[in-house]
Amino acid sequence: MLESRWSKLAGLLLLLVILFLVPVIVGGRPYVLHVGVMVLLNIIMVSSLRTIFLSGQISVAHAAFVGCGAYFAGVLAKQFALAPWITIPAGAIMAMVLGVLLGIPFTRVRAIYFAMVSLFGGIFLVDLIRVARTWTGGGTGLSKIPPLAQSFVGQKVPYYYCTLALTIVCLIILWRIEHSRVGMNWKAIAQSHLVASSVGINEAFYRVLALAVGCFFAGLAGAWYAHFNMTLSPDSYGFLPSIFLVMYMLVGGQKSFAGPIIGAGLLYSIPEIFRRLGTAAPLVLGVVMLIVVYLMPEGLAGLYDQLKGQLLKSREERVTKSAAED
Amino acid sequence: MQLDIRDIRIHYGKAIAVDGVSIRVGAGEVVAIVGANGSGKSTILEAISGLTPLSSGEIWFGEERIDRLPAYEIVRRGLMQVPEGRRLFPYLSVWTNMQMGASLRKDKAGIRKDMEEVFEHFPILRERRNQKAGSLSGGEQQMLAIARAMVGRPKLLCLDEPSLGLAPIMVNGLVPVIKDINEQGVGVLLVEQNVPLALKVADRAYALQVGKVILEGDAETFRCNDVVRKAYLGG
Repeated sequence: MLESRWSKLAGLLLLLVILFLVPVIVGGRPYVLHVGVMVLLNIIMVSSLRTIFLSGQISVAHAAFVGCGAYFAGVLAKQFALAPWITIPAGAIMAMVLGVLLGIPFTRVRAIYFAMVSLFGGIFLVDLIRVARTWTGGGTGLSKIPPLAQSFVGQKVPYYYCTLALTIVCLIILWRIEHSRVGMNWKAIAQSHLVASSVGINEAFYRVLALAVGCFFAGLAGAWYAHFNMTLSPDSYGFLPSIFLVMYMLVGGQKSFAGPIIGAGLLYSIPEIFRRLGTAAPLVLGVVMLIVVYLMPEGLAGLYDQLKGQLLKSREERVTKSAAED
Repeated sequence: MQLDIRDIRIHYGKAIAVDGVSIRVGAGEVVAIVGANGSGKSTILEAISGLTPLSSGEIWFGEERIDRLPAYEIVRRGLMQVPEGRRLFPYLSVWTNMQMGASLRKDKAGIRKDMEEVFEHFPILRERRNQKAGSLSGGEQQMLAIARAMVGRPKLLCLDEPSLGLAPIMVNGLVPVIKDINEQGVGVLLVEQNVPLALKVADRAYALQVGKVILEGDAETFRCNDVVRKAYLGG
């Protein structure tokens, strides 16, 4: 057990070293670093979506909350000339508040019904962004958002390192929450809300708390993106982007903390890697998704345990067979 | 009086499941509710726990009316239920399931001490502490369900059909467990179809039939009653 912990720690350390060396490995190529930043932000988005999923709620509006954070930060920075250290937390808080406000009336709605409610909530939020065109630019989008820092203009390396640091901090916080009493209560509610109530867990409170935490980090990633991309379009936060986030989580493996990291890392990169295929590039993504969903019920993160289980099973069968033959 | 159920009625749609039932449990008392399937026993427990609303009547716990409180608030007041069918968190470990029972407590040292005490009662749970609850046998799951409730230090424990689906040897093992719990000063409301088991541990009992109390009294009253003797005690 101790050995496994050390090997995990060593693996994590190696991964961190590689991630820090990425700008050197890719020779500072802006396009690759841009994709790297997007992968890191998607990791935060999908990990925060998993927080909501932990409490047994399926949200198909997560991209809309990313959009709320992005637009709120973007509008504050552009219209009110506020600094990113104010606009980014403000964007995260705005997404959290909206998540809580939309979540409170629907605490009695569960499973697929909650997914439906979240779908309508997401459509409402994106429509709100379109309607408030004076502030948000409506369907044409919001442009000329100030960068994270003036010295970052035209550079990707500082953005990459800052985003990497942000991602690490977010993941540590989310990991700590998941392994605290709060996370345990979320898992309990997901398994049976009736049994959870029978041991004194306030289901409604913890479900709203999961939404608050999930939407906060979604908004944070969105607000960061606003200062990174400097242009926002409401189309990026609709139903389809939300479904993509769900797919990243499912393919990576929703039961494991590493699942969203693997899912977002791999699936976001695939269309970029196969960019030369042109319009056929998304097909590769579709094929990978189908293979994983069909062959790996626990997702990519569960592949190691799945293979280990199958190996043990076949070894046991061999031993039983040879014993029977003797 | 610790628990006072006053003339409650419960409907499922137009059908009446519980019709004018009054039950009282004194502090530190073991009270059983016995009856056949569909007599309304489990519905009463669900109402006590705040999971099923009353059509009329009142439920008081100590000096407070609890029938309008949500389930988690009732647990916070010290009334815990071990639901029928050994409802656990199947994908959580035995250890985590037990910790969930103490989700309202903040005294970590006290929780650890209580968990050790519970392990003394159920040593098999100590052996299986890292195993997922769903992988335990029926008897072990029942032990875990009771253990989880015990770690919550309830004032009154409601046990819903703890003998259901257990082997006879395991059923006999429940008697000392319930008596031990009661000796620690915890009141017990036991809902059972297994009348001999209920009468072995209960100070008083209520017999239900089609949602109504048809008999109330101590074990001797039940043993002397012809209807109960013929229906539940083998003549």
